[in-house]
Amino acid sequence: MKSGVVETPRKTQGGRLGSQVFPLLPFFAFTGYFLIWPVLAVTLRSLRGNEGEWTFSNYTPLLHGSYLHAFTTSIKLSLITSIIGSLLGALFAYVVVRYASGKFSAVLDSISAVFANSGGVPLAFMFIAAFGTEGLVTRVLKTLGWDIYAGHFTIFSFTGVVMVYSFFQIPLMFLVFKPAISGLRKEWLEASTNLGATQVTYWRRVAIPMLLPSFFGAFFLLFAGGFSAYATARALTVGTVPLVPIIIGTLVDGNVVSDQQNLGDALAVGMIIVAGVAMIGYVWAQKSAAKWRQS
Amino acid sequence: MRKQFIIGVVAAALAAASLVATSSVSTAAGTDFSKCQNLKACGGMDALVKAAQKEGKLNVITLPRDWANYGEAMDLFSKAFGIKITDDNPDGSSAYEIQTVKTAPASKVPDAVDVGITYALDNTNLFTSYKVANWADITADYKDPSGRWAGDYAGVMALSYDTSIPKAPKTFSDLKDPAYKNMLAIGGDPSGAQEALMSVFAATVASGGTADSVQPGIDYFKSLKTSGNFVTALANGQNFLAGAYKVSFSWSFNGPGAVATAAKAGKTVKYIIPTDAVIKGTPYVMAIPFNAPHPAAARLWTEFLYSQNNGKTSMTVGSTKGMTGSKIFSSIMGGQNIWILGGALPITFDAMVAKKTNVTAPEGYGIPKGVKVITPTVAQQDAAKTLLKAQWPAIAGN
Repeated sequence: MKSGVVETPRKTQGGRLGSQVFPLLPFFAFTGYFLIWPVLAVTLRSLRGNEGEWTFSNYTPLLHGSYLHAFTTSIKLSLITSIIGSLLGALFAYVVVRYASGKFSAVLDSISAVFANSGGVPLAFMFIAAFGTEGLVTRVLKTLGWDIYAGHFTIFSFTGVVMVYSFFQIPLMFLVFKPAISGLRKEWLEASTNLGATQVTYWRRVAIPMLLPSFFGAFFLLFAGGFSAYATARALTVGTVPLVPIIIGTLVDGNVVSDQQNLGDALAVGMIIVAGVAMIGYVWAQKSAAKWRQS
Repeated sequence: MRKQFIIGVVAAALAAASLVATSSVSTAAGTDFSKCQNLKACGGMDALVKAAQKEGKLNVITLPRDWANYGEAMDLFSKAFGIKITDDNPDGSSAYEIQTVKTAPASKVPDAVDVGITYALDNTNLFTSYKVANWADITADYKDPSGRWAGDYAGVMALSYDTSIPKAPKTFSDLKDPAYKNMLAIGGDPSGAQEALMSVFAATVASGGTADSVQPGIDYFKSLKTSGNFVTALANGQNFLAGAYKVSFSWSFNGPGAVATAAKAGKTVKYIIPTDAVIKGTPYVMAIPFNAPHPAAARLWTEFLYSQNNGKTSMTVGSTKGMTGSKIFSSIMGGQNIWILGGALPITFDAMVAKKTNVTAPEGYGIPKGVKVITPTVAQQDAAKTLLKAQWPAIAGN
């Protein structure tokens, strides 16, 4: 009797586990091959010297000089563009949810999805064609009496890269943050008004605390995206704005001094760590957001 | 590394084995074209052309038509000898060429490669020995004593500019003039891209420095960045047509192609070799893989590219039916002169000048007289890269 009682649930549990795991096998195989294996391979290589010996020496250049500078530049660029992107994106999302019709809002969603996924050399070229020295927008502004190249501005600079990154950061924020704003129920505003709250109090005590976790979640997502972007900045700055992915590209793509074989791997691990921290922030924010929604 | 070496050895062994297999076919005709190491051993030009025509095909790899006049070379070779050329991945890199030699199925292996010199030095065991008729004319620094590889052509750093700009530059130093604000670009990050690296050497010499330290060149770009003259747009055809820059440091051998492309878009581009710095790059290197599927055509192609003839072009060649191989070969323009016409410096240039076999370079591509031609050594290039890695990212001041 006793053994039977123990056995039965075990069997069902095992069956349920199997039916859960099997459909996910292709997914595990995919992430294993394209995510876990590369991360492991890069990490292991970064710990090897030129003769194949184990060493931490590939990591020492990361702590000073031009490589450290690349990390600070990359982090600075991603921070600035994700701050601009998250603030403006959130504002647009609010305006659209509050004032736009359902159809118009759907059109904006599609457009944003296209913009949010643009990148690479084509994006850089778009901006050169628009805001370059002879770009269309530049010329139109010039005929209107404003020569944007009269001063120090140029699209081929840190400022230019910030501008180009904002082009995909803002719509990305719009897309990921809009559902959170749509989740603000009218009843809450009515309820707080009935309890005597002003608009300001409602925002300060109800809406903003509700939205904040989602906002930070989206912010971390933008940060990670900006941090890993590569080709756009490379095409605009020929290495004068040193970003970590650009330097890895230069190290890996031929022409490397042979005593730095695995430095690129060490830089990549450094990037994984920074992106990992951003992702921890993202998960934490998502959890807090979910908690709010439940209660 | 070691693993790769073993794979290389295995590949070479396999290739050798497959050559043994094919060789029995060619020995029937008397000569083993996969083994003969010079024209004489291959039975002379008539026999070589005959065998190549029998193979009927030639595989080349990563040769853009507008790069160093390769379009003309391929057209002429194809028309004159009736051999079909397949050009795999024209825009690929040297690394891609080596990878293809190692891994492609037997019939897709390139019959000849044109790679950066370091790629040849690192992969000598992939190539077979063959010394062209003009072997003695090749600069000693740039050929393998056993004949496995040899330099073929090099570029000179030129200035290319849109002729619509108000002031035509004559020298690299001219570009410091405020008239060139927002106009100058180079071909990439100098610590990684060869053309950009040579641009820094040119700026160095133009600023009174030597190839031993590119510091004056870095300072040159830094001051031009500060003055706004240097834009960091990547110098390529697309950005040029979009008006992102007007003047760039460029390889001479891409000039004629770039001029033609720009003309189609309604822009006039001019190339000049400035007098304040003549920087000649390290030459590209030609080699025949051991496992070339068309060994006779491969050798004929190589002979053709090193030929110093001045003769018919792809436009004037006409029918060669019934002509002997040596007659065809001596009636057409040789590769060395085709390169001169493409704005490149062929490897046997000095010998050609001495023998007076060189054609005149197109206007603007000639080396200015009385100026020292400098080719940075590999050691100087490595030193420059180290300096650039530390300093280049800071020139924009961010």
